[in-house]
Amino acid sequence: MLAATFGAVPPQSVPESAVSLSVPGKAARPREARRRRGGREGGAITPYLYLLPFLLLFLVFVVYPVGYGLFVSLHRWDLLAETRPFVGLEYYRNLFDPETPQSQFFWNSMKNTGFFTLISVPLLIGASLGLALLLHRPIFGRAFFRSVFFLPGILTVSVMGILWRWMFDNQIGLVNAVRTDLLGLQPLPFLSTEGLAWVPVIVGTVWWTIGFNMTLYLAGLGNISQSYYEAAEIDGATPWAKFRFITWPLLAPVTLFVFVTTVLASFQLFGQTLVITSGGPNRTTQSTIQYITEEAFSNNQFSSASAMAFMFGLAMLIFTYLQFRIMARDARGEG
Amino acid sequence: MAAPSTRAGTLPETATTRPPRRFRAPRDLPRFALLCVLAIIFLAPVYWMLATSVKPEVDVISTPTQWIPANPTIDNYREVLTSPDGNILRWMWNSFFVATVFTVLHVALCALTAYPLARMRFPGREAIFWFILGSMMIPGIVTLIPSYLMMIRFDWINSFHSLIWPGMAGAFGVFLLRQFFLGLPRELEEAARLDGANSLQVLWHVILPLSLPSLVTLAVFSFMGSWNNFIWPTFVITDLDKLTLPVGVNTFSQRYVTDYGKLMASTAIASIPVLIAYLLAQRYLIEGLSTTGLKE
Repeated sequence: MLAATFGAVPPQSVPESAVSLSVPGKAARPREARRRRGGREGGAITPYLYLLPFLLLFLVFVVYPVGYGLFVSLHRWDLLAETRPFVGLEYYRNLFDPETPQSQFFWNSMKNTGFFTLISVPLLIGASLGLALLLHRPIFGRAFFRSVFFLPGILTVSVMGILWRWMFDNQIGLVNAVRTDLLGLQPLPFLSTEGLAWVPVIVGTVWWTIGFNMTLYLAGLGNISQSYYEAAEIDGATPWAKFRFITWPLLAPVTLFVFVTTVLASFQLFGQTLVITSGGPNRTTQSTIQYITEEAFSNNQFSSASAMAFMFGLAMLIFTYLQFRIMARDARGEG
Repeated sequence: MAAPSTRAGTLPETATTRPPRRFRAPRDLPRFALLCVLAIIFLAPVYWMLATSVKPEVDVISTPTQWIPANPTIDNYREVLTSPDGNILRWMWNSFFVATVFTVLHVALCALTAYPLARMRFPGREAIFWFILGSMMIPGIVTLIPSYLMMIRFDWINSFHSLIWPGMAGAFGVFLLRQFFLGLPRELEEAARLDGANSLQVLWHVILPLSLPSLVTLAVFSFMGSWNNFIWPTFVITDLDKLTLPVGVNTFSQRYVTDYGKLMASTAIASIPVLIAYLLAQRYLIEGLSTTGLKE
């Protein structure tokens, strides 16, 4: 699916200016020169010159930080100290020593992040597929609905967070207003109750990100040939059978992609809980990234935080690897 | 709804004569009603944001709840725009400036990088490409702390440099453009070569004009990514005047805590330019997302 959309360039998209391109004045000589150098690529170092700026930035801001982070995690790094002694795997061992506060808070945050991922990923996949199925066939106002469902995704995370904190305010938020004024129930203190504090985070996240997945599913549905459904109708297939044996299997590549990116996005939970619950009550919604940044920037424990970041990166590796595989398959032009 | 079962070999009339996928009002009514209900649920928080933002403080906390603002006022907006705790319009400008500079440089850099990777043959091409693509496996959190320490050493804390350069060598843009360049027909490039164009001229006059859709897609994603970046600027920018919009709005959230009239006015102000841009450019955003099948 992905490769197909990348590969094809409709011929009508070729602008005339490009077709009638000519470089006046210096037609003959450079051609000869290039022929003599033996190849249309030009000079042998030309491609490397193109790559140079990117590779320099890549080495400085992508490759080097990985090694530097590893280095920091193996030393006792204090911004103010004169010496930064080598401590080996001490900060990694701390994470497996139940006596340390680091291990307690880190694994607590991992549990929270895992819980959030476990709840939000099926919701985000199922609900977005449902929306896409509702919107796929033509209907009055289709473009309007699509815009409405996508719209929350353009809001920035702090806006989304403040909005949902207000929606679920313990006393007078819209949710509690509906409970008290319309349903005659007691207000529920969502934000300060352990467990319930996840409700605004998860509802807010679904509201915020569902449009992305829906759009991907709509594109996937559009790529399924109508003839399959016509053939199934001839055979008297029920709507469920058509979904089960045509739509769902043919959407598998989209679902895999949506699954991997949604898991990765959920793992990297940060802004929503920071703004909505500040990680509370009692650290029950504190995400791993929030705890790592707290350890680094509030406690100035850069080494400990780096060690956690690597542990967390390792935990994500299976999903980042899957993401890489999807792109690699695309890059090779398969699938 | 299922088509009546037919004997093998006989096509039912309807399957061939009925135009497929047309809106049929009576049958689609429940679906339409469901979509309307969902749209109302999706828009309710946005309505509540706007309604709260124009209420005086007493009306925000009054019970029973005021569903429609009874005494609309722009006081919240005035107070937010003149707040001594930070200039929200300044933050908006900062975000716009950083995102624009980042986007222009990033798209140009990715085009320069993707071009030889897609269109030239040279030793090490595959190795370099896979090396770059492999970096997609590194989650941002792994490089966050060392990058921060580097920013201290570069003296880039509280400088826009820290918001522009570290994300510049992103592999995704190179991947996206390389894939698109690979699909372009060779003939035009060869014709230009025969006319004596050098490789830079080929890139500029042939490749880039043909690649506008993918360049626009990359530009939209880059701009949104930079504009919405939250974790990184939270830690590298602390100077109130240099904050970006998402981080600045979050400082309001911590300062005004439950003063929701002001908070909703600030979130509304922060969302207005984005909403306008979305209404104007949603085609590019949604189509870009659909055709690349990739999100940030």
